[in-house]
Amino acid sequence: MLVAERDVRLFFQYKFLIIIRAIWFVSQIVLFGLIASRMINVQEVPDYFRYYVSGLSIMTLYSAAIFIGFDIYEEAEHGVFEYLLSLPVSRRQLVLGRSIGGGLRAFIYVGPLIAASLYVIGAVNPLNFLAALFSLFLFSFGVSGMSITIAVMIKSIDRFDILMGVLDALIVRLSTAMYPLNVVQTANPIYGGIANFNPVSYAADLFRWGTGLPDIITLDNPLLPLVGIIAFFAIFTFIGITIYDRRIEGGGWQ
Amino acid sequence: MIKHIINLLEHDLRNFFRYKWWLVGLISMNLADLFIMAIVYNYMVRGAVIEQYRDYFRFFAPGLTVTGLFASAFMIGREINMERRREVHHYMLSLPMTRMELAIGRVLSGGLRGMIYMSPLLLTCFVFLGFPNVWQFLTIIAILFLLALGISGLSIAIAVSTSSLEKFITARGLVYYTLFFCSSVFYPLSLIQQLGAEGKFPSVLVTLAEINPLSSASDMIRNFLLGSPAFSYVSILNVLVFSAIFTLSAAFAYIKIIERK
Repeated sequence: MLVAERDVRLFFQYKFLIIIRAIWFVSQIVLFGLIASRMINVQEVPDYFRYYVSGLSIMTLYSAAIFIGFDIYEEAEHGVFEYLLSLPVSRRQLVLGRSIGGGLRAFIYVGPLIAASLYVIGAVNPLNFLAALFSLFLFSFGVSGMSITIAVMIKSIDRFDILMGVLDALIVRLSTAMYPLNVVQTANPIYGGIANFNPVSYAADLFRWGTGLPDIITLDNPLLPLVGIIAFFAIFTFIGITIYDRRIEGGGWQ
Repeated sequence: MIKHIINLLEHDLRNFFRYKWWLVGLISMNLADLFIMAIVYNYMVRGAVIEQYRDYFRFFAPGLTVTGLFASAFMIGREINMERRREVHHYMLSLPMTRMELAIGRVLSGGLRGMIYMSPLLLTCFVFLGFPNVWQFLTIIAILFLLALGISGLSIAIAVSTSSLEKFITARGLVYYTLFFCSSVFYPLSLIQQLGAEGKFPSVLVTLAEINPLSSASDMIRNFLLGSPAFSYVSILNVLVFSAIFTLSAAFAYIKIIERK
């Protein structure tokens, strides 16, 4: 918990980046969301504005959770790694704490934005939403674990920055965050296949299911995406722990 | 004078190509927008909105070229902000050239870098939408170069007026999102005007979208390649005014601020 708390505190030092993400979020809703919803065919998506705003919350959660990877480089550069290794916690506790801290801080940051988007899109089904919220927690921890895994595997911050940018572009666009799965499948079956097994799609679909708004719900059964998110969380937390554990010994991060 | 400016251009272009992997990453993100997002949007957008362009992919390709130009021409501001913070500008001031040559060289190199980055995107646009005639091609290049100069100027003006990288990034974000989303890059201008007429979009933002140089450049390329929307000399005037204002204000701001103790 101490490791997680430290990572949460670190995140709020980047106040300008937090502000810029908030500006991006608001301008996406009041400018892009509002105007783009006017050009969408209502037979394909009955209420694109609400559909898009709910997807936007997941995109923001994803990019906030990714940020922990950049901290790993900062720490390696400033010699903080040695300090972390000297702490009276096991390597596994350290990695798990970092993964939870990364996910938690993303969630704390996105919390008010999710509340704002719920206010914009309207009604909520409280029970469904609590279940969706739990899956979003796991999603956020999984993304942090993925970011930590990639950060410790790639030693250059520039390469990491580029890879995360490209990955962000692909993983978000090949998901149901911006458009429903049936449209993606019609547009291109390969895109549809990827979107069908994408954790961003699972999180976005569960979030919409949690709102209880019939016009934007795309799930009949929320169990499958929930299992997908649990698997994503488990895989990246396990891989993250294993790789981080191996790399941090003997100056392997340098 | 020309020799000094060319030396500066060479310096900034060399710096630009140091970020080659970053550029590859940026281009792949732009292409993901075009070949994934725009293709999926083809199946969602109402036919009536884009019927004169045939599909959303064709509508969006010119807009994407302009956003690519914007992002890359804006990069010079980040470097100048860094030079100011690390006090590299003292070295720049010691170079055997006038302050005006220094300022013009920086604005020009920012614009030129934008043009270099944008070229593969413009070529992609031509390949999928068709090639313009020679006069149209020269007009597109000239207008995009003027736009790149204006963007580079705007970026330098922000860079020299902000004391930290964080403030520069925040200001850049505000400018980016306002100019991108209040333009015809992602959606036809008529749609924004319609929302404004219905009172669902502030008239200030509708006016901004109309005079936005990103709208003017995107719509001019669309007119040449797709025949719609109608060509207007006002759009050329928009880009000219934007470029003149920001090139001059950046040059004067740059000279004034880097000489400040």
